Amino acid sequence: MLEVRDLHMRFGKVTALAGVSFEAADGRVTGLLGENGAGKTTTLNILSGLHQPDRGDIRVDGHAASAPMDRRRSIGALLDQRGLYPRLTTRENVAYFGSLRGLTGFELERQVDRALALVGLETIGNRRTEGFSQGERMKVALARAIVHSPRNLVLDEPTNGLDIPSARSFKDSLREMRDRGVCIVFSSHILGDIAALCDNVVIISKGRTVARGEPTALCQQAGCATLEEAFIRLTTREEPLPCLPA
Amino acid sequence: MSSCLTVAAKEIRDHLRDTRSLGSAAMYTLMGPAVIMLVSQSAVARGGGSRLLLSMMSVYTLVSAFAGGMHLALDSTAGERERGSLVPLLLNPVSPLHLVTGKWIGVSAFALAGLALNLTAFTVVFEWGGVLPPGGLTRVFLLWILCGLVPLALFGAALHLLAATTSRTVKEALTRLSITMFVPMIVGMFLVFFPDWVGRWWFTMPVVGQQAMIGAGLRGEAVSVVQAGVLGLVTTAAGVAALLATARALDRDGIVAG
Repeated sequence: MLEVRDLHMRFGKVTALAGVSFEAADGRVTGLLGENGAGKTTTLNILSGLHQPDRGDIRVDGHAASAPMDRRRSIGALLDQRGLYPRLTTRENVAYFGSLRGLTGFELERQVDRALALVGLETIGNRRTEGFSQGERMKVALARAIVHSPRNLVLDEPTNGLDIPSARSFKDSLREMRDRGVCIVFSSHILGDIAALCDNVVIISKGRTVARGEPTALCQQAGCATLEEAFIRLTTREEPLPCLPA
Repeated sequence: MSSCLTVAAKEIRDHLRDTRSLGSAAMYTLMGPAVIMLVSQSAVARGGGSRLLLSMMSVYTLVSAFAGGMHLALDSTAGERERGSLVPLLLNPVSPLHLVTGKWIGVSAFALAGLALNLTAFTVVFEWGGVLPPGGLTRVFLLWILCGLVPLALFGAALHLLAATTSRTVKEALTRLSITMFVPMIVGMFLVFFPDWVGRWWFTMPVVGQQAMIGAGLRGEAVSVVQAGVLGLVTTAAGVAALLATARALDRDGIVAG
């Protein structure tokens, strides 16, 4: 479970976040929705321990996780940079990250097998990743992010660049993890993916949370028939919805 | 410590599969012995130029101490950043210092292997060509080389990592690393032709000190163990400083954001 309260962050003179707050529960997919530059990636970078916010609180599974290293230990992340090591095999790529998370020997082998099976890569486990398709690279990157069985998973626009079968297979993997109780935070600006996957949606605009709730509830709050219309209406409001904390 | 060894093992395994880079590093390393072997058979060498040939060895050996690990330093830092694998690596619960130390162990292993290959090839060439230093290739001379050159290879590995980590692209890193290779070459050449410029304090400076020490050894002049030890310590300290600076650079938001 992830709890984010009032995140603020600036890069020089640019304000990236000016008050992002939300909760993401176990066994549910929480989608971060926002226009380009809204602050989704910065929020996920902070959650995964890559950046430290200027202000705000983060709790992971009920415990304060103010230090980046605390968040790196307890969260698996697949961010916008997903490069692999082309001279290593699929298995070696995944095992390397497992080792860096303290897995060794039989436990490491077991966890690598489990991660590869979950994303459907068992058959190409011993192939070098050089020349892999975009979908295959994405799956290896996901296997690498979940090799230590994190209870919380953060994904930044994971379906970008995937063809339809790869995106579908990828989303199936995420559903399976959700059904196993993993808390998944998923950012996208593709409404179809959000609608298909997410149990809850957090709408971010100009670095602030402007709305959050189940997709149908958001449509009701905005008085719109579709999530797309609700998104447009909510992101063009001057003030956040009254139900949100200041 | 185990995370350092995990990173080092991965880097070594990965680089051993990069045959083009290994071939390129081997060429740099063997270039000196090959040139000396050819020139030793020429009329110049037979006419009394063997002393100059011996002096040239130190230049090539200095370069080989830097060349062996250069490609790995490039690939494991600027290359990692360019192919987008640096951010996923930084998401693991491992401190930047441990990551950098692991990479340094890997780069150093190849730098030392290059140095060992160079010295072995030179020994064979000298024996075969009959171009031997006045005192022969004695154990003391080899000890001086080890005291000075092993720390130099370790320092070179750290310097390469620092130069490549703070570069934005592989191309920029390659330019910087080429400069770090050029410095020992220029310093070495200068001291080959102007050996009288060497003062006692030169023995405390990395690169210059190693060149002066090997040159003195090859001319049959005495170099004290204390001088070799001080040079080794100063070079090691410079390497540690470069490693710490690399770890600090890796911890900056600018490196992550690209």
